[in-house]
Amino acid sequence: MASGNMKDIKRRIKSIESTMQITKAMQLVSSSKFRKAKEKADTAMPFFNTVYETMCEIASEDRFFNSVYVRGNESDTTLMIVIAGDRGLAGGYNSNVIKLALSRMEQNGGNTVLIPIGKKASEFFSKRNFKILRSYENIGETMTIYEAMDISEIITDSYNKHKSIGRVEIVFTDYISPLVQEARYISVIPLDKISGDSPKSVTRYEPSAGEVFNSLVPKYIAGLIYGAVVCSFASEQASRRNAMENASDNAEEMIDNLSLIYNRARQSAITQEITEIVGGAEAQE
Amino acid sequence: MRTFKFKVITPDKILFDGEAEQVIVRTTEGDVGILAGHENYVANLPPGVLKINLAGGEVKYAAIAGGFLKVSYENITRIITTAAEWGEDIDTIWANRSREDALNKIKQAKTDSEMSRAELKLKRALNRIQVSSLQKH
Repeated sequence: MASGNMKDIKRRIKSIESTMQITKAMQLVSSSKFRKAKEKADTAMPFFNTVYETMCEIASEDRFFNSVYVRGNESDTTLMIVIAGDRGLAGGYNSNVIKLALSRMEQNGGNTVLIPIGKKASEFFSKRNFKILRSYENIGETMTIYEAMDISEIITDSYNKHKSIGRVEIVFTDYISPLVQEARYISVIPLDKISGDSPKSVTRYEPSAGEVFNSLVPKYIAGLIYGAVVCSFASEQASRRNAMENASDNAEEMIDNLSLIYNRARQSAITQEITEIVGGAEAQE
Repeated sequence: MRTFKFKVITPDKILFDGEAEQVIVRTTEGDVGILAGHENYVANLPPGVLKINLAGGEVKYAAIAGGFLKVSYENITRIITTAAEWGEDIDTIWANRSREDALNKIKQAKTDSEMSRAELKLKRALNRIQVSSLQKH
């Protein structure tokens, strides 16, 4: 039945068209969100760089300098901050981060507690009964330094006062280019690799180099978390934009194919009708 | 008077980037005034008032929410803080509301960390109210 087949094809084209409208809209939304997130990540850089630079200077300048953040404490528990998205439909974005987090856990050994950021991460880890210190959802887009400071305070408290964690790692997605985003991890504390060039001139620290350093560390951690969250959010949007672009392209291709089939079916139906009419007319003569 | 390069850096913006004659700010150890040619110096800053004397006699006040001051000789003097705001931009109604809010939180605080957080919030609110009144005079 040619006409029934044609109706089916028409319906499929319509449904693909409406899906394509959605993917196109999502693509546009993601590209504008991406631009904003990129800007936010860039403006945070001077703040973070100065904090880090000062910490390196103190570490290289003061020979008697001995901070708990550099020395490490005896705990063998790792705190892992895993940053994923709040929503899916972003290609491999969420699964790549989670995969990396799981493989880091295996490599680190010992105990792991988690701070998942983003709905996808917190759902994944709470379903599988991982130890969760706290989870944060829906903060990627509206992230402020205060939220990062809160998280940083939780971390420094458990590191310093309770000594319940000995290492801190952040697993996030680094933005490399609009087409390439890569899941990465960074080690936050202990700061065993911190060092800088030997200083050109002596600096006076008030109240003391050690105290300045210890008060810088929470800001450094907050800056890292803030940067990682904003960077991951930019990556999420870039990755979603790509996924949606591919989806739109595929939809277009499918529509093209289906239209071809539809036109062929239409043509053959017309041809058939003409032959039938001609055949009928000839029979009457 | 000689001027020097001065920057106020926060995570979401650079509040000030230019030449200043003198910068006065309160550190955890007391008030310090920075002039051109100051020695290398780093100090912690609690929430407080920042006063900048610009070349030409203009004076600007800003509220800063804690951070640190970094002076590098013949280089740039920087204040790195989690938040900073010009006195003229401060919304006093909003600042007063957050002061009330902080006072309520102090009354209701049960744990030490809640208390210290509320206190910090109150300090920030009072600081902003003070800075906005300084700028008007």
